[in-house]
Amino acid sequence: MTVTPLIHPGAPFSDASAASDASDASAAPGDAITLTAVSKSFGAVHAVDDLTLRVRQGESVALLGPNGAGKSTTISMLLGLAAPDRGRVELFGADPAAAVASGRVGAMLQEGGLMRGVRIRELLEMLGSLYPSPMTVERACSLAQLEGLENRLVDRLSGGQTQRLRVAVALVGNPELLVLDEPTAAMDVEARRTFWKDMDEQAASGRTILFSTHYLDEADEHCDRVVVIGGGRLLADGTPASIKASVGLRALRFSVNGGTNGFDRLPSVRSVEVRGRRVELLCSDTDAAVRELVSQRSDAYDIEVTGVGLEDAFVALTNPARAA
Amino acid sequence: MFGYLTLELRRSLRDRRFLLLVIGWPVGAYLLFSSVFGNEPGSQGLTANTEMMVAMAAFGAFGAVLTATGPRLANERQSGWLRQLRLTPLGAGRVLAARVLAALALTFPAICLTFATAAAVRGVRLEVWQWPALALLLCAGCIPFAAIGMVIGQVGDGDSAQGLTMVVYLAMSALGGVWMPVTILPSALQTVAHALPSNRMAELGWQVAGGHAPTLTAVAVLGAWLVGAALVARLLSRRIAARG
Repeated sequence: MTVTPLIHPGAPFSDASAASDASDASAAPGDAITLTAVSKSFGAVHAVDDLTLRVRQGESVALLGPNGAGKSTTISMLLGLAAPDRGRVELFGADPAAAVASGRVGAMLQEGGLMRGVRIRELLEMLGSLYPSPMTVERACSLAQLEGLENRLVDRLSGGQTQRLRVAVALVGNPELLVLDEPTAAMDVEARRTFWKDMDEQAASGRTILFSTHYLDEADEHCDRVVVIGGGRLLADGTPASIKASVGLRALRFSVNGGTNGFDRLPSVRSVEVRGRRVELLCSDTDAAVRELVSQRSDAYDIEVTGVGLEDAFVALTNPARAA
Repeated sequence: MFGYLTLELRRSLRDRRFLLLVIGWPVGAYLLFSSVFGNEPGSQGLTANTEMMVAMAAFGAFGAVLTATGPRLANERQSGWLRQLRLTPLGAGRVLAARVLAALALTFPAICLTFATAAAVRGVRLEVWQWPALALLLCAGCIPFAAIGMVIGQVGDGDSAQGLTMVVYLAMSALGGVWMPVTILPSALQTVAHALPSNRMAELGWQVAGGHAPTLTAVAVLGAWLVGAALVARLLSRRIAARG
């Protein structure tokens, strides 16, 4: 079955209250991040394709997208690590390199290595000393949940501790803009909860935070704004609630005793997921789908219709053709 | 930058393998060679004990510089630490400067311990001014090796850079007349030897130990290696940066 993309790539969904204004092509005062019609290709692959995005100071924004969506390339460009082929990238209205050099940016990269053979305290002290108004090593360690490990050698940390040290490395300079690429990837549930509580405080104190994550519930709970990219293009930009609504889908769930094939032929179905006897359909018109289901399948029971979560919205946005 | 430089030095001095390689090896080799050949006349107008002292200090010094640049650069490129550093206000220029300065500072443990061993165990005596002059000159003679290390650090990943460093280190030592006098090499290899920075930096030391001024030829050969290797390193780093 072929599925029409829900959001046409040329016409990204935008929520007026939070979204960037693509028609205004220059950085406005109060902008922390401004990407203007930015493109970057690697050979024949368009990693980022005509992306325009604006993040105001004090916003906390989640950057979502499947693997290969262009998240990392976007982050590389906005940190000045890679130059765009076309378009303009600005941090605080200036060249990213200038913002980095003046200590206004702290970043945690997914593949960001650490200095070997030094203690956590030594590393964080050295890095902090490079910034105009760093936080104390104790504060950075407490925010990154590394208390008591200050004198540990960097080489002797577990995977999760290493990940948390990367967070501390981004934080210790006390920068105005924090860019975190998958900050919670190696944290357990408890650590993630504490981490986000601290990040919420950081955001409340006026810091701008841009993070990418695979955990959609984090984006749902902890940021003002979600930016979804796919294929290097902006797919959606708005509050978590508005994105869920924009997808225009509802979930139809039921169990069957008989076969689980053929549900993709019910009216308005966009995706089918089967777990044992339980079937979940994302539909644009659940009423029509329910009527047809009930008339065709007398073995369907436990039927329920609910709104979609951010995760479903995300899947529908980034991979509309995955259905069936 | 001072903080970063200090940290670079501190972690090197904590690294036992590094210390064994750059201090243990030259001092041990000096004790061995000088116990066998020490009382024979040297080939540079010096006693063999003095000649070997300079050669082994040079051996340890350029070994320290190669090890502190090549494999480390490759590892940090691979691990992403260099990328992370680029996101700090430190800047690429100061990262490079700190790395080179740290590598050069790390030549002094090898140089000083080899000198101390030669003086204490083999009774080598020089004028007072000659000791610091010799140490500084050997350190300065290592600058081209820092550039060579930068080249090595950008052609391979961590493991291959480690291997390549060893190959370059041993080739420079054996062919450069640091382990044995150049005169015992076949004449074709002697020409090669005189073109190597290892031979020329040791020559600076031998000249000063003999009370002579360094020759212009030696300085010119070292300068040519520095410029050549620095240009190649720059070219490679641009190519890597362009790859993204």
